[in-house]
Amino acid sequence: MVALVMVDVAVVGAGQTRYGNHDLGLKGMWAEAARSAFASVDGDFDAKMVDEAYIGSLAFGGAQLGNTAALLTEHSDMEGLPVRRVENACASSGFAFRDAWMAIKSGQADVVVAGGIEKMNDLTPERRRYWLGVSGDTEWERLAGLTFPGTYALMARRYFHEFDATHDDLVHVSVKNHLHGSLNPLAHIQKEVAFEKAASGFMVADPLTLYDCCPTSDGASCVVLAADHVAKRMTDTPVWVRGSGAASDHLALHDRPSITQLKATQTAGRKAYEMANLTPRDIDLAEVHDCFTIAEVLATEDLGFAQRGEGGRFAREGQGIINQGSVAVNASGGLKSKGHPLGATGTGQVVEVFKQLRGQVESQRQVKGAEVGLTHNVGGSGATCAVHVFGRDRT
Amino acid sequence: MTAEVWMGYLVDHCPDFTVVQSPFVLGDERVFGADSDATTLSIAAVLHRLQHENVASVAVPEGIDADALSTACNIQVWDKESESEPDWDLLLSEEAILVLARPGAEVEISVMDVAVEVDQAFHEAIVAAWEMELNVLHVSQGAYVSQAQYVEAASPRLSLSGQMGRNGAVWPPRYSANTSQKENGVHRLTPSGRVLSWTTLSAAGAPSEFSLRAPLLGGVSTVLLELVDGPNGVFLVVDDEEPEHSMDAPMELVVRRIYAQEGFIRYGLKARAMPA
Repeated sequence: MVALVMVDVAVVGAGQTRYGNHDLGLKGMWAEAARSAFASVDGDFDAKMVDEAYIGSLAFGGAQLGNTAALLTEHSDMEGLPVRRVENACASSGFAFRDAWMAIKSGQADVVVAGGIEKMNDLTPERRRYWLGVSGDTEWERLAGLTFPGTYALMARRYFHEFDATHDDLVHVSVKNHLHGSLNPLAHIQKEVAFEKAASGFMVADPLTLYDCCPTSDGASCVVLAADHVAKRMTDTPVWVRGSGAASDHLALHDRPSITQLKATQTAGRKAYEMANLTPRDIDLAEVHDCFTIAEVLATEDLGFAQRGEGGRFAREGQGIINQGSVAVNASGGLKSKGHPLGATGTGQVVEVFKQLRGQVESQRQVKGAEVGLTHNVGGSGATCAVHVFGRDRT
Repeated sequence: MTAEVWMGYLVDHCPDFTVVQSPFVLGDERVFGADSDATTLSIAAVLHRLQHENVASVAVPEGIDADALSTACNIQVWDKESESEPDWDLLLSEEAILVLARPGAEVEISVMDVAVEVDQAFHEAIVAAWEMELNVLHVSQGAYVSQAQYVEAASPRLSLSGQMGRNGAVWPPRYSANTSQKENGVHRLTPSGRVLSWTTLSAAGAPSEFSLRAPLLGGVSTVLLELVDGPNGVFLVVDDEEPEHSMDAPMELVVRRIYAQEGFIRYGLKARAMPA
């Protein structure tokens, strides 16, 4: 019998485009993200060293619905690799990252690229709403008038009914994430918002206003993962993947026993913590999936940063503000301010944690003494979720 | 004759016929509400009659979706080729009035004093929006629920048919690797429930299937209901209702138009406040 020794996996490079309204198309954005990621690898690295690539995308707009990954890798010096597009709605690249991690973990690859991309602002409003509505249970939810603002609005109203929380708590999330995003030069919306303004925004889906909703962003992100035995040649400061968890849940909100918690997040988080042998208290910063402000409130509970029903208070007390609370939540600005180019969001979260743990973000945004970070990427209204825990230390 | 409000319509009935009228008037004429038509009135008429007696077969005139009527009411539509006579006729009017009558019955349509005036410009805009939506050349940018996919789920969508599982009723029906929908049998759930949550989407945020009508209606309202028989479901609120709701409020489910694509109207259950 040959004893199999599981390898450890590190992130050795990570980069992204600015999120927002891009002039560049798919190929140009991906090339920019890949260049940024490759350039961030400190040591011995060449794109030809990559064994596999996983690229998350909803293929928004349908412009390159088929063979997306083959086209994009062709424009980033990775021709000829086994590549594929990974699709799990807004969690596409969170799962692309998990697949990349598994490819190395299984011993089948040493160096793998995970990334994501979405081009969303080149469509008419009608087409954009179409693509923003294809990831719920279209047959039942969409024909009941729901797009995701509506789905999350149902969650928010129910949450207010069940717990001691009001819309003001969501406003605190919005104000915090705009504050963080205002310090991030790669964020889509780089400006603060006053509480009063955020509280009285245009009503999109009652009770959610414009300031509760993430923007429609273009963008791409790219991460280089490596097995432990090659990572040391590539950098002296790898960021180790300490835990990976993923789960799914009923696609339709009405099929879930509770709409004030995301079971997929709870399951994925528990698995990731267990693998990392860490608890929520060990997390210094978390990039959570705040497509809507209520989603961040639920995530802080489902990931264990706040007790159930206490997510509103967590936000109200500013516990997620950088270097102020118990854990920095969405130091990048989150989806709310950094932006949400659907397929790019998951690996974009990894980019932020990678830089934070290496002390490479802007000084005002740097989480002091950050040792352990977490990413939380959700598909749709919680049908899919990938959670990863990262550390400066290998164990 | 006894008159009442039934599924959002005005209903008169006697042993030989049932009259269903829209509550909306424009001038002296009764007109359909924003998501009503002869098919939705006919469904209300048959369901009302079914409260009192069996309806074996109904002759359905042109202008009524016979499949939707049959599915929503679980009745047989009379086959013109058959040798037997229908038990009931559906009679259309030039106004938004419909009669379900025994063949040969003398029908008297009483004047009802309930009349909700509609704004003429609004009414004309809604009618024009539906005409445009129904045009086969109109291509909605909405998620594509094909006619075949709609028909597969027509029974749960129109009559709330579900399954009985080990833990109670299941709706919408589910498939399983172990048991099929057919094996679980069909169970028609009670068409009412209480509000668990609700929202009103602005016209800009509503699904693009509704993009022609949502701006006229001031958005679309959706409720999450806990059905009386247990399962939860999301439903559009009927277009004629005010979008003000409250948690735990009782609502009933009635059949209305949902949207049209490729010249085909998709009908389904929508929610309206339960009459006091």
